[in-house]
Amino acid sequence: MIWKRQIPILIVAFIGALTLFGWFVEEPNIQAFVDDDATQWYDILASFAIILGAMNLMKMQIQKVARQKKGWPYSIVAIFGFLFAITAGFFIKGVDDSVAVWGAHVTTEGTLFKWIFDYMFTPLSATMFSLLAFFVASASYRAFRIRNFEASLLLVAGIIIMVGRVPIGSLISSWVIMYIIVLALGIGVNTWKKDKKITFGVVGVGIIIVTVAGMMTGWPLDKPAIFYLPIIQEWIYYYPNVAGTRAIMIGVGLGIFATSIRYILGIEKSYIGE
Amino acid sequence: MSMTVILGAWIAVFLTLGIFSYLYKDNPFYKTAEHLFVGISAGYWTSIFFWTQIQPNLFGRLWPSSEFSAESLWYKVYNGLSFLSTSVFPSGGIDKGHDMHLSYLIPFALGIMMLLSLIPKLNWFARWGIAYTVGMAAGLRAYGYLNSNVLGQIKGTAASFTDPNMPFFSLTSVSTFNSLVILVGTITGLLYFYFSKEHKGVLGKASKVGIYFLMISFGASFGFAVMGRISLLIGRFVDLIKYSAGDYNNATLWVLVIMLIILGYDAFKSRKTPPVNEEAV
Amino acid sequence: MKALEDLILKIGKVDRRWIFLVLAIAVFIPIIKPIGMPIRATETTKVVFNTIENLPENSKVLVSIEYSPSTKPENHPMTISILRHLFRNNHKVFVTCLWPDGQFMAQDALKQVAEEEFGKVYGEDYVFLGFRPGNEAVVKGIVSNIRKLYTVDVYQTKIDEIPLMDGIKNFKDFAFLFSCSAGYPGTVEWVQYAADPTGVPMSSGVTSIQVNEVMPYVQSGQMKGVLAGMPGAAEYEALMGQKGFATSGMDAQSIAHLVIVLFIILGNAAFFIERKRSRKY
Repeated sequence: MIWKRQIPILIVAFIGALTLFGWFVEEPNIQAFVDDDATQWYDILASFAIILGAMNLMKMQIQKVARQKKGWPYSIVAIFGFLFAITAGFFIKGVDDSVAVWGAHVTTEGTLFKWIFDYMFTPLSATMFSLLAFFVASASYRAFRIRNFEASLLLVAGIIIMVGRVPIGSLISSWVIMYIIVLALGIGVNTWKKDKKITFGVVGVGIIIVTVAGMMTGWPLDKPAIFYLPIIQEWIYYYPNVAGTRAIMIGVGLGIFATSIRYILGIEKSYIGE
Repeated sequence: MSMTVILGAWIAVFLTLGIFSYLYKDNPFYKTAEHLFVGISAGYWTSIFFWTQIQPNLFGRLWPSSEFSAESLWYKVYNGLSFLSTSVFPSGGIDKGHDMHLSYLIPFALGIMMLLSLIPKLNWFARWGIAYTVGMAAGLRAYGYLNSNVLGQIKGTAASFTDPNMPFFSLTSVSTFNSLVILVGTITGLLYFYFSKEHKGVLGKASKVGIYFLMISFGASFGFAVMGRISLLIGRFVDLIKYSAGDYNNATLWVLVIMLIILGYDAFKSRKTPPVNEEAV
Repeated sequence: MKALEDLILKIGKVDRRWIFLVLAIAVFIPIIKPIGMPIRATETTKVVFNTIENLPENSKVLVSIEYSPSTKPENHPMTISILRHLFRNNHKVFVTCLWPDGQFMAQDALKQVAEEEFGKVYGEDYVFLGFRPGNEAVVKGIVSNIRKLYTVDVYQTKIDEIPLMDGIKNFKDFAFLFSCSAGYPGTVEWVQYAADPTGVPMSSGVTSIQVNEVMPYVQSGQMKGVLAGMPGAAEYEALMGQKGFATSGMDAQSIAHLVIVLFIILGNAAFFIERKRSRKY
């Protein structure tokens, strides 16, 4: 039991405390260990963890084939892919030592490993990510609804960023935005007063003011700057957006600090399954 | 264009269109591409991590060529390993510029214990290695997040309201108005997450303002998320267009046509064949 | 009016595969038939550009590549433009990677820019140190003692034999850091463990998804500007006066965004009509 529970907790407490206090201690031996060797050991164990993950994955695929579970032929494809990549990584370089020695072959042009990276790994990983573009579009269409004021704030901010950050946003005149604001004001007044005359009056007056102002100034594309979409977008992105994100960041930072201390003090033991 | 490049292009197009075929419905092309991705990723990452870390930094410190001695027992073990694989253990030791550090037997032992945890009875072996990485990460992050994400951000929120050179209002540069927006937004946003007191009265109003700022952040995040995904889609389409050229024997067009025919035939067949009532059978 | 409302309601219930098809067409057409919309650089991009432009001559700059092929359309054009800017101004470039795939991305970029465009000499004008696993531990290692972490470069040459590495002991020996990042580990780790504690200035190019996460660092001055996704890369290309992949993708990006905004408006129109009718009945 001591091997399975107490010793791992002791390791976390000791290494965690050493790493944390290593930031503040000037003693050269401790600093040398914390900054150099301890980080190297971390890197080595991280590598073993990745290899463990890969081997565990293959173990599951092999079990699926052996037990002929649903979809087992596809597991053969997965095992084939793994063996092919391992062959390229450890057994067949595809070039001789003068081009790339073992070790450098994982980054050198012309090797079988690089071929797998260019024509199999890259298309697969890139396409998996780009699939999400379609689902984002579908979700925007089917689920993004203005049910309350907060949702409409989210929507308006999202649309301003989406349109204002791309070249097409800089082609939309400030005057178009002003007309849209007048119409939105009309909708707001109608919701509040529920009187068609007042709504019509507000919208009409707004449109007249904007049109006269535009005619007097010659309809410049980017003036008044306060209504120019790229400028509005930049202001939202740099100020109110940062304020909200910063609040989340500070909260998360405090949470992570607290959780790290819990791990070091042995209160949190989820890494041993408790 | 060499045969390996053309073959590679055809495989890349098949895998890309196979993944995209999921948009129509789940089908064998997609499942094949997906499982191939799983297998190749596992093999790829294993190779990369082994050759960039374990071989040079672990084995390179246990058996460096700078201290090679054919008579020593330690290097006799190395010669035995070299017999098994001259690529991983080249003769004369591993030359990566390291000195010998036998203390690296500790991470080596922890690493082997991690790998042995694949055996069900020994699955607790991984705990020691995991404990080391957890402890190290906790120590690093406690300082990093407190310094940069808390103290650094609080410093960034602080604003000067007595600077005579600062304009009151400016959309594109620092101004009193903008500093006020950041200050009020950060404080009210933080107050929204304070759940030790009921959100009533002044706290209620402040947290309401906070949630408006949070909604603006989420809206901006949504906008950027859409932007990011569309960018990746553009990248894939550019590659597919490149591989449709004659240099690659029009790979995209052929693979697309064949897939459309097969999926179209399958759709036509499944419409014609009524679904089987499994209970009746 | 009722006919229009019925049409909008019908469109609101359409199978999502039609939405996929419309989006695919909206992205595909501008790629094959570019429109050539003008690109306007934002303030955060200009800050990155000016920071690099104002670096003293022959500055030693660390460029860290942490993205994979999956985000290549967003990050790779940034890397290309930044390397062009650095080599154009004759700075000395040191390339590291926190992601394994970053190594291949860096290699492609260096081959295109350093070798083919500028004819720079390896070991005298630039060094490719490569990938090391360990996430933030690698950043810490670079900050404390880069020579212990990187004993060999990516081509397995000892760094003691590389002339450009003379005098480079740790992170403080660099004048500037540029991190081209797509997630963890990346920009955040560089800010927390390298730039903030040491005061070495840094900028970053990030994917659009990540922009919101790093904006507080930009606003507080912990980072000098940021290149936000493919639009940010296109803006940098415009500032450099050299169009690249990012610029060519902006037309498709613009049209796709407009299409998605249209979808949102249509979806909400259908929602309001349905709500109005259900209230009526």
